[in-house]
Amino acid sequence: MSDLLETYVRPEKNPGTACKGCGLRLAHRNVLEAIDELKLSTGDVVWGTGIGCSGRQTFATWRGDTFAGTHGRVYAMATGLRLALPPEKRLILTVGDGDAFTIGFLHLLNAARRNVDMTVVVFDNLGYQSTGGQYGVTTPLGSRTDSSPYGAWEPNWTQGGFDVLRILKEAGATFLARHTVLQGHEPVESLKKAIGNRGFSLVQLIYPCVTHFGVQALETRNIATVYDWFRERTSDDLAADSNTHFTTGIVHDAAGSRPEFSVAVRDFVASVQKGGSRGGTN
Amino acid sequence: MKRIFDTGNAAITEGAIRAGCNLFAGYPITPATEIAENMSRRLPQVGGYYLQAEDENAALHICNGGSIGGLKAMTATSGPGFILFADAFGWAVSSEVPVVIVNSQRVGPVSGITGAPGQGEFYLSRYLTHGGNYETIVLAPASVQEAYRLTVRAFALAERFRTPVIVLADQMVTDGWETLELPETDDEFAALGLEVVPRRINPGPEFYPASDEIDVPPVVLGHNTGAACSDWTPTDRGHDTEDITWQHKHAWRLIHKIVNNRQLIDEADEWFLDDDPEIILVGYGTPSRVIRSAVGEARKSGLKVGGIRLISLWPFQSHLFTRTACYLVVELNWDGQLVREVERAAADGSNVHFWGRCGELPSMAELLDTVRQLLDNEPLQRDGWRTEKW
Repeated sequence: MSDLLETYVRPEKNPGTACKGCGLRLAHRNVLEAIDELKLSTGDVVWGTGIGCSGRQTFATWRGDTFAGTHGRVYAMATGLRLALPPEKRLILTVGDGDAFTIGFLHLLNAARRNVDMTVVVFDNLGYQSTGGQYGVTTPLGSRTDSSPYGAWEPNWTQGGFDVLRILKEAGATFLARHTVLQGHEPVESLKKAIGNRGFSLVQLIYPCVTHFGVQALETRNIATVYDWFRERTSDDLAADSNTHFTTGIVHDAAGSRPEFSVAVRDFVASVQKGGSRGGTN
Repeated sequence: MKRIFDTGNAAITEGAIRAGCNLFAGYPITPATEIAENMSRRLPQVGGYYLQAEDENAALHICNGGSIGGLKAMTATSGPGFILFADAFGWAVSSEVPVVIVNSQRVGPVSGITGAPGQGEFYLSRYLTHGGNYETIVLAPASVQEAYRLTVRAFALAERFRTPVIVLADQMVTDGWETLELPETDDEFAALGLEVVPRRINPGPEFYPASDEIDVPPVVLGHNTGAACSDWTPTDRGHDTEDITWQHKHAWRLIHKIVNNRQLIDEADEWFLDDDPEIILVGYGTPSRVIRSAVGEARKSGLKVGGIRLISLWPFQSHLFTRTACYLVVELNWDGQLVREVERAAADGSNVHFWGRCGELPSMAELLDTVRQLLDNEPLQRDGWRTEKW
C-alpha cells in the first residue's frame, strides 16, 4: 500500500481524514490496486469525484488531473469531458450511493444510455453518512438511522426484488459489478475489467461505515463487530437472497457490444464533414 | 460582408461558430429551441459536437465538463431552463471555467407565456447561483446584428475572465428577423471590434492565483498538469480547503477580477445626454429600440429628452447615472427590476420612474405620453415604481 500511495496519491492528501475504521480506505485502495495492476500511470487517468464521504475523501488525492462535480452531476460533466479527452485516457469517478443512485440517477442513466466511456465506482456506505447518517436507497430495510428512528421502511433499490444495477443494465451500461470491500482481491479484478471497458462501467463497492451506520443501525462502534456484520452478509452468489445478503459478482459484462459514445460522435461528425447521407447542407 | 436575412437565433449560432464554439449541449425550450436546432446543423460541419441533454441542469454540466477538457462550450435556454442552471453556473463561477449561456427571456414566472418577450431575469442573471462571493458578466443584445456581435464577445470575455458569460436576450431578439451582416474575412471581423481568444492551458501548479489578473489560462484536464478543480473552496493549487483565509482570497478574486477590469466589459449607448436633458429614458434589449425612437421623436418636438441603453448589464454601470435627472426606466416586466438598480445608482435629487409591461412592447406614443406628463408635472397614474397603479 505504501508504494501505491507514493505512486498515485498526493502527499498532502495522505493520510486522508476518514473516520477511524472507515471502510472507504479499503475501497480507495482497491481502485488504486486495479490501476496499478493495469500498469496505468498518473497521466493515463483523469479522476473525478462527487459529494459526500467518497468525494471528500478522494478528491484531489490522485496525483494526476482531478475534478469534483456538484452533487449528482459529475456523470453529465464526465459526458462533456469525455468528448474532449483522447479515447485512450481513462476516466474514473469515485462517488457515493446517494450521488449515483438518487440525486444523480437521471444523469447516470443517460450516461449508460449513451455508453459514455467512464468507470463509475460507487463507494456505497448504505446511506448518507457524511451528513450524520440518514437512510438512502441502498440502506437495508429496517435500519435505524438519524432520519429513520423507527427503522427504514421506504422501498429501496437493493431489496424486495429490486436491483439498481439491473436498471442500469436496461439503460445500456456495458459493465456492471457489485462487491464488498471484504472480498480480498475480487473487487480489484472487477475494477480492472470495468476500467478496461471502453464504455460505461459501474462497480458498486459496499463498505462499512462504523461512525454512523455502525452506531445507528448495528448499535455498535466496535470496528471488528461492524466488519463481521458486513462479512457475514456478503455472498459470492448473485442469486442469493438480496433481502438478507449483499449479492456480489459481475452482474453484466457486455464490453464491446455497443458503440462507445465519444467514438460514435466523432464518427458521426466525420461523416457529416464528408457530406455523408446523414449530413445536412447549409 | 455577407448579408443575409435571418433570426437572432441564427445570429447567435453563427456568432458562436465564428468564436470557435465546438460543444453545444441544450434542451429544447421556446423561444430558444432554434439555437439548438441551428447548432445541431452547424457544429458537425465545423467538427464540433452537439448534444441534447436530459435537462438543462445536465446541459450546463456537460458544457462545464467539455470546457475543463478544453472545448469551447455554449448552451441556450429560456427562463424555465435558466433557473435549472443554478447548480452548474455556480460550479463554473467558482472553478473559473469559460462557458457561454444564452437566455432568451419570455414571460414568467414559471412557464408563463412561451412565445412573447419578457425581462424577468435581470436579477436572476446576476445571481444565478447561491452563496454570493462572486460577480457576473451579462450582455444584452437589442438586435439580430448585435446578437451576433455579443455572442462572439461573450466567448472572448469568458476565456479572458475565466468565467461563465450570459447573453441575456429576449424573445423578440431571438425570434425576430432582420438583416444580418456576417464578416467573411478576418479584417471584416476585426473591424467589428471582435476577437477570438483561443483556449490556453494552465500549466500549473498555481491554478487559482489570489489576484485580480485576467488572461490567466483556465484549468484544462487531460494534459497531466496535476490540474484540480472542484466545487469546493480551492487553494491556489485547486485543492479543497476549509481554511477561511483561502476562502477570502478566492472570493476576492472572483469579485475583483471582474470589477477591476470592468472597462473591458462595460458597454452602453447614450443618446442626447450632452445638454442636461430633463428626462432620460433607460432600458436594454428590445424595449430600448422603442426608447431610441421615442427619444428621437421627442427631440424633433424640441423636448430635452435623452436615453441610455445598457449593452452590458452586469457588472452594473452605476457611473452612467451620476447626473441628477428624471429617469424613466422601461422594462418588459410589471415588478420593476432594472429600475431598482437605477434608483440605487442615480445621483441624489434624481427622480426615478418606472414604465413596465410584459409580453408586448410599449409603443412610442405611450412612452411619449408619459414623457409629456413628467415634463408638465402632471400627476402620473403612478407615483414612483413602488406604488404605481395600472
